[in-house]
Amino acid sequence: MPSELLKGFRLLDLTDEKGALCGKMFADLGAEVIKVEPPGGCSTRRIPPYLEDKADAEHCLYSIAYHSGKKSVTANLANADGRALVADLATQSDFLVESHPLGYLDSIGLGYDALTKKNPRLIYASITPFGDTGPGKDYNWADIITWAAGGVMYLMGEEGKPPLQMSLPQAGLHAGGEASVAMMLAHYPRQIDGLGQRIVVNMQACIVWTLMNEQAMPFLHGSHLSRTGIFVGSADARRKMVYECKDGHISILIAGGVTFGNSTKALIEWMHENGFGSEWMRTKDWISWVPGVFMKMTEQDYKEIEDLEATIQRFLLTMTKHEIYAQGLKRRIFLAPVATAADIAADEQLKARDFWMSVPHDTIGRTLTFPGPFAKMSATPIGSTTRAPRVGEHSDEIYRGLLGLASERIAKLRAAGSI
Amino acid sequence: MSRFALEGVHILDFAWVGVGPITTKYFADNGADVIRVESAARPDVLRIGPPWKDAMPGINRSQFFASYNTSKKSIALDLGKPKARELAKRLVPWADIVVESFTPKAMRKWGLGYDNLRELRPDLIMLSTCMQGQTGPNALYPGFGQLMAALSGFYYISGYGPGSCTPPYGAYTDFIAPRFSAFTLLAALDYRRRTGKGQYIDMAQYEAAMQNLAPALIDYHATGRVLGPQGNASARYAPHGAYRCADEDGNERWIAIAVASDEQWRAMLAALASESTDPRFATAAARIENAAAIDQFVGSLTRAHNAHDLTAKLQAAGVAAYPVENCVDIHQDDNLEVFGFWHWLEHKEMGPSPYEGLEHRMSRTPGTLRSAAPILGQDNDEVFREMLSLSADEIEQLKKENVIF
Repeated sequence: MPSELLKGFRLLDLTDEKGALCGKMFADLGAEVIKVEPPGGCSTRRIPPYLEDKADAEHCLYSIAYHSGKKSVTANLANADGRALVADLATQSDFLVESHPLGYLDSIGLGYDALTKKNPRLIYASITPFGDTGPGKDYNWADIITWAAGGVMYLMGEEGKPPLQMSLPQAGLHAGGEASVAMMLAHYPRQIDGLGQRIVVNMQACIVWTLMNEQAMPFLHGSHLSRTGIFVGSADARRKMVYECKDGHISILIAGGVTFGNSTKALIEWMHENGFGSEWMRTKDWISWVPGVFMKMTEQDYKEIEDLEATIQRFLLTMTKHEIYAQGLKRRIFLAPVATAADIAADEQLKARDFWMSVPHDTIGRTLTFPGPFAKMSATPIGSTTRAPRVGEHSDEIYRGLLGLASERIAKLRAAGSI
Repeated sequence: MSRFALEGVHILDFAWVGVGPITTKYFADNGADVIRVESAARPDVLRIGPPWKDAMPGINRSQFFASYNTSKKSIALDLGKPKARELAKRLVPWADIVVESFTPKAMRKWGLGYDNLRELRPDLIMLSTCMQGQTGPNALYPGFGQLMAALSGFYYISGYGPGSCTPPYGAYTDFIAPRFSAFTLLAALDYRRRTGKGQYIDMAQYEAAMQNLAPALIDYHATGRVLGPQGNASARYAPHGAYRCADEDGNERWIAIAVASDEQWRAMLAALASESTDPRFATAAARIENAAAIDQFVGSLTRAHNAHDLTAKLQAAGVAAYPVENCVDIHQDDNLEVFGFWHWLEHKEMGPSPYEGLEHRMSRTPGTLRSAAPILGQDNDEVFREMLSLSADEIEQLKKENVIF
C-alpha cells in the first residue's frame, strides 16, 4: 500500500523526464496520479537502458522506476477532443505538473489561466529549464545542458580532460523533487482559503543549489575551484578523497580539528596496528591541526599530508571495500566504499531496515526489486507501490469513472485518434 | 490571506550541517517561524566552514552556514547540560514540527526523543534525519554527504570509464534528501490538520538519495548489470558532452552540446560552418556507436569559438547547448539574473554577501529570503524572555552557568 498521507488528492502528470519523479513522489504518499500521455506513449517510455535490452515501453527502466504507482491515460493534445479531456480532468484535480515547452499548453487552452477559471483550487506547476522569462526560456534542452548551466559539470572531472556528467542524468530528478516541494508549499494555504496558484520551477537553479559552499568563493575568497578530480576542498585544504583498494575505490575525509581529528587518529592507529605509517602520524596533535581554517598550510604540512596520503593508499590496497568499510564502521572513521549497485544490493543495513520492495510486473512476467521508501513514517507508512502502467492502461477507467463518458463515446474518441 | 504560505507554522530545529537545515529553510523562507537550537559548546560544523567574509574564519562569518539558514532565528544553548534541555523542552508545546539530524542516539540520550517530546505535544510531527536511518546495524554511522554520495552509488557512476572515479563536487546527497524530507513534512502537516494525528518520520539520507538512482538499482537486482562510469557517453545523443572552446582571459572554456536527431546534427554542422561526409556520422545510431570519434571531431570544430556566442548560434539553430559555467559565470548568468535568483543580504557580521535564492517561484504566496542567517544566539532574548518569560536575572544566571550563551 502507498501511504495514506495524500490519499484523496489527485495529480495530473503532464511531464516528461524533466519532472517524472514529482508524480512518483505524490503516488508514494498516496495521491492518485494520472499520467497523461500521447497515444503511443510519452518520450519517457523510450529512454535507454532497457531491461534485458528489450527496447519497448514495458522494459524501459526509467519508466519502470519513475512511473510506478501512477495511472496512465492517453490524450492526443493535437486534437480538440483530446484537449477537452485533459481540461475536464483538470477540473477534478488538485495538482497539475507539466514540463512542455513554454507557452505550448497555453496555446492549446490548457494553460494556467484557462484551467484555473474552471478550477480555482488547482495548483499548477511548470518545470522549465531556465525559467519562464529569461533569454533561455525557449532553449532546446537535454539533461547535460542543465548540468553545465548549473555549474556542477565544470567541477566534475580531471584537469586536462573534459568536464563530466554522471552516467545517470540527474537534473530532471532534482527538478521533479523541487516541484513536489513547491506544490506542497502551495497546498498549505490552499487548504485554508481554497485557492491554488501557479508555480514555475527553474531547473538551472535546482542544480546551482547543489554547488554547496562553492558558489560564494569568488566573492568572499577571490578564488574558485576548477575540476577537482579526486581531491576535495579549496587550495589551502586540498586533500585526496578517493583511494584505490583491492577491488575498487574508497572515499575518506582526512582532516584535523574537533570534527575530523578523531577519525584521522583512528585511521592512523588502525594502520599502525598493521605496520603502516610513521611515528609522527601517531604523535601529531590532529585535533588542533586545521590548515585552511585557522592556519596556512606550511611546506611541512604539505610534506606530511603527502606522506600520509601515500601511506593510506598503500594500506588500503591490501584490503577489499567490504573489509575496509567494516573496520571504518567499527573504528568510527569517516570513510565509505565507492559502492556499486551490487554493493548496495548486498548491504546489510538496508536489509535490516527492510528497504527493498518487491513489485510484481505482470506486463513482463516477473517481479522486480525497487528501492524502498524515502522515509519511514509512524502514522502513514509508505508500503508497496504498483508497477508502472502500460501506456493508456487506465483510459477507460478514468474517462468512464471520473468523467462519466459512455463506452460508445470512448470508442469514438479512440477511433478518431483522440485517445 | 497571509502573505506567506506557511505563516503561523512553528518549527523547533535541532538539526545541523546540511539536510536538516536545508529542509527547514524551505519552511522559513515561506513564512514559518523556525528557531534553530544551536549548541554553543559544539557549534554547527558549517559555522566554521568556508567561505568566510573576507576569507577570515569566524563563527558568524561563514557563507556555507548562512546559505542554509536564511529567515531563521537562533538560540544558543549547551544541550549537554540538563537545564538547557529543560529550556528546549519548554519550547516543544509551541512547535508544530521538531527536526533533528544528530546520529541516532543523541536525542534519546538527552531525553529529547520523539517519545519524550510527544508527551509535551501529543500531535507533534518530528523528523529525524541522519546518514543511514534510526535503526539497523549501521545506524550510528557518522558521516557527511561526501561519503554518502560514495556509499549510495553516485561516485561509482562518475568517471571517464571503467576504473576512473571523479566524484561530483561536495556533499551531493545533501541536496537530494531535503526535497524528499520537506515534501514529506509538508504532507504530514496537512495530514495532521485533517486528522489531528502527528507522527514520527525517520529519514535516512542514504535511502532518500537512492531514489535518484532507481533505474540502475532495479536493473541490477533484475539482471545483475552494474551501471558504471561512462564519461559523457549517452545511448540517446551523439555528440553529447563538453567541448573545448576558445580560452578567455587565460581560462579554459567549454560548451555542453547534445544532439538527438539528423536534423539537429545538420543544424549543428551548419552553425559551426562545417560539414561531414564521414560514414561513421551518417545516422544517429552510427554517431552513438562512434561517440569517441565524434567527440574528437566536434571538439576540433568548437575550439576556436566563444562559448557564449556559439551557444546562441546553436540554440537558434535548434540544438541543445550551453556554456559549462563556473562559479563566476553563474553569478553573471542572464537566465538566473532574469529569474531573480541571487540575493545579496545584509548579515549582522558579514555585511552583504551572496545567497542562492529559491529554485521555484509561486504566483500567489511567493516565498523569499526574509532575512540573512542569524548570528549564533541572536534571538536568545526574544525566545527566553518573551516566549519563555524568563527574567533578566534568570537569564543572567543561566549565562553564568554556561547553559545559555
